[in-house]
Amino acid sequence: MTDRPFLRTFVSPAALCALAFVAALAAVMQYSVRAYVPGSLEPGGLTLANFAALLKPLYGRVFLDTVWICFLTAFWTLIVGYPLAYALVHARNVALKSAILVISVTPLFLGEVVRTYSWIVVLGNNGFVNSMLLKAGVIAQPMQLMFTRFGVVIALVHVTLPVMVIMLAAALAHIDPDYERAAESLGAGPIRAFLTVTLPLSLPGIIAGVTTSFAWTFSAFATPQLIGGGQVNMVSNLVYQLGFASFNFPFAASLSVAGLVLTFAVLALLRAAARPLERIGPN
Amino acid sequence: MKQLCFAITALAVFSAVPAAAQDKLVVSVWGGSWRDMIANIIAKKFTAETKAQVEFITGGTIDRLNKEKLAKGNPESDITFTTSHVGWLYANDGLFEQLDLGKVPNAMNLVDQAKISPYHIGTWAYVYTIGFRPDLVKDMAFESWADLWKPEMKGKLAAPDFDPSHLITIAAMLSGGDAASWEKGQGKLKELKPNFKAFYTNDANSQQLIANGETPVQVILSMNAHYMAGEGVPIRLVIPKEGAVLGIDTVAIMKGSKKADLAYKFINAALDPEVQAEVAKFKKGSPAVLNAKLDPAIAGLPGVFSTADQWNKQAIVIEHKLRAAKTAEWRKWFAENIMN
Repeated sequence: MTDRPFLRTFVSPAALCALAFVAALAAVMQYSVRAYVPGSLEPGGLTLANFAALLKPLYGRVFLDTVWICFLTAFWTLIVGYPLAYALVHARNVALKSAILVISVTPLFLGEVVRTYSWIVVLGNNGFVNSMLLKAGVIAQPMQLMFTRFGVVIALVHVTLPVMVIMLAAALAHIDPDYERAAESLGAGPIRAFLTVTLPLSLPGIIAGVTTSFAWTFSAFATPQLIGGGQVNMVSNLVYQLGFASFNFPFAASLSVAGLVLTFAVLALLRAAARPLERIGPN
Repeated sequence: MKQLCFAITALAVFSAVPAAAQDKLVVSVWGGSWRDMIANIIAKKFTAETKAQVEFITGGTIDRLNKEKLAKGNPESDITFTTSHVGWLYANDGLFEQLDLGKVPNAMNLVDQAKISPYHIGTWAYVYTIGFRPDLVKDMAFESWADLWKPEMKGKLAAPDFDPSHLITIAAMLSGGDAASWEKGQGKLKELKPNFKAFYTNDANSQQLIANGETPVQVILSMNAHYMAGEGVPIRLVIPKEGAVLGIDTVAIMKGSKKADLAYKFINAALDPEVQAEVAKFKKGSPAVLNAKLDPAIAGLPGVFSTADQWNKQAIVIEHKLRAAKTAEWRKWFAENIMN
């Protein structure tokens, strides 16, 4: 391998950023093993009490809830995002292509808080969904959508959709359309050609999209905070509730570390589960 | 020669400007309407009196606290506004200068409840009390905090998720205790759990949830309720017979500030009775001095205290230092037993 000194110059900004992240992470780790001193900003001596406190069933429940909400979000984002990505790649009309792209990517341009407040207007008892269903006579009483896991997942799917669509579109765009045409020429209908050719070939994109959506959702804060209303909590909400809102930074740090470990563990499991599927995709 | 003439002229011009005009006081405050209010009312008066300019550093309570902690000894701001119990965290960490109230003539009229510590004093006050939508919660009067526990309140109540100290103290009081013996109210508070519909995370969230009727009853910041009423939302704010939980925003001088003299003048301007009346009118809160002449329409609002008698009879004061020390414990217990 030839030595290319200019590479060092290019890599140095990224290396500096990485260094800053490592330093921040080290600070969080250090706080997680320090005692909380009531009424003071300074942490006390070394302790494992913060981690011992996490063994309460409440925290286990919230961690499991977080994983479950992430799975639901990744799954429904895939279901909603795949047709959008497929249409985006295969649409021949430029205007239609642009419309799909705008619809898919717009959520990225809105702040998370603005987006979430909009969902409060849509999901509320007097919101858009309930008003329409009441007027149509489908329901007699408003459905409880706010402060429920269902409402949180709907809003999170909206937040995560652009990531999924972009990743799936990139994967689908790399599939040679001749494969599908070949299947059709051999007698397969469009659905069979899609299920037996396009879908398996897009698996790497699906795996990447699901994994990224999962990790993206794991760190969600404003959406579960506002739509969940304290009744649906994820790890980030616990960090806020128990750490920052009460100045107990050591406990907040231990929650963050536990959340980080859980994220890595779940992502490793996902990776292991996805490995056999990856072999199906194009090599 | 030309250069010498220029230098002399420049020197003459600069020496003609009062020294104070080149001074600048840095004030740390929450953003939004709080910053605007301080800029338009307090800083305006201060600048008129001293010719010194005011620059603002804005941010959330915790962000500003953290930043000042990191800058200890060489503060980013000269003056900090924060809530009374959070002020104790600054003070305990040696971030505040001890105040010499002899340099703040207007502090003579400070109400007793606003004398928080040797380091920070109150500038205005508000209450957390019961606010409700009479159009959505019919036949409820909320004469007592105990009314929140009524079965017909099931699934209607919201409270702040960032500070449970109000309900923890109230539950303790209803159980024969107080904030210091808050454990007495734990059982009572657990009985309230079915009545919670949600917990709001900030003022905007509180306003939205009561405006759209999602949570028709709230333990609400009085200023928010008055603001929403002004926007046409039919909210009624009540002071229960036990009183309403007092909140005081305070001002302090940062330790290490090189503008302490100006900072004292700023605090004095903040406590000026006319400034206090304007602040009360703008935010619909209580002035921290007793000689402020309030517009009768403002003085008549629930939760606006303009007399010592009102302060003494209607305000439930959670001892600020105790609150600072207990916040984490209360918050953890509330999150573990009520919210989750």
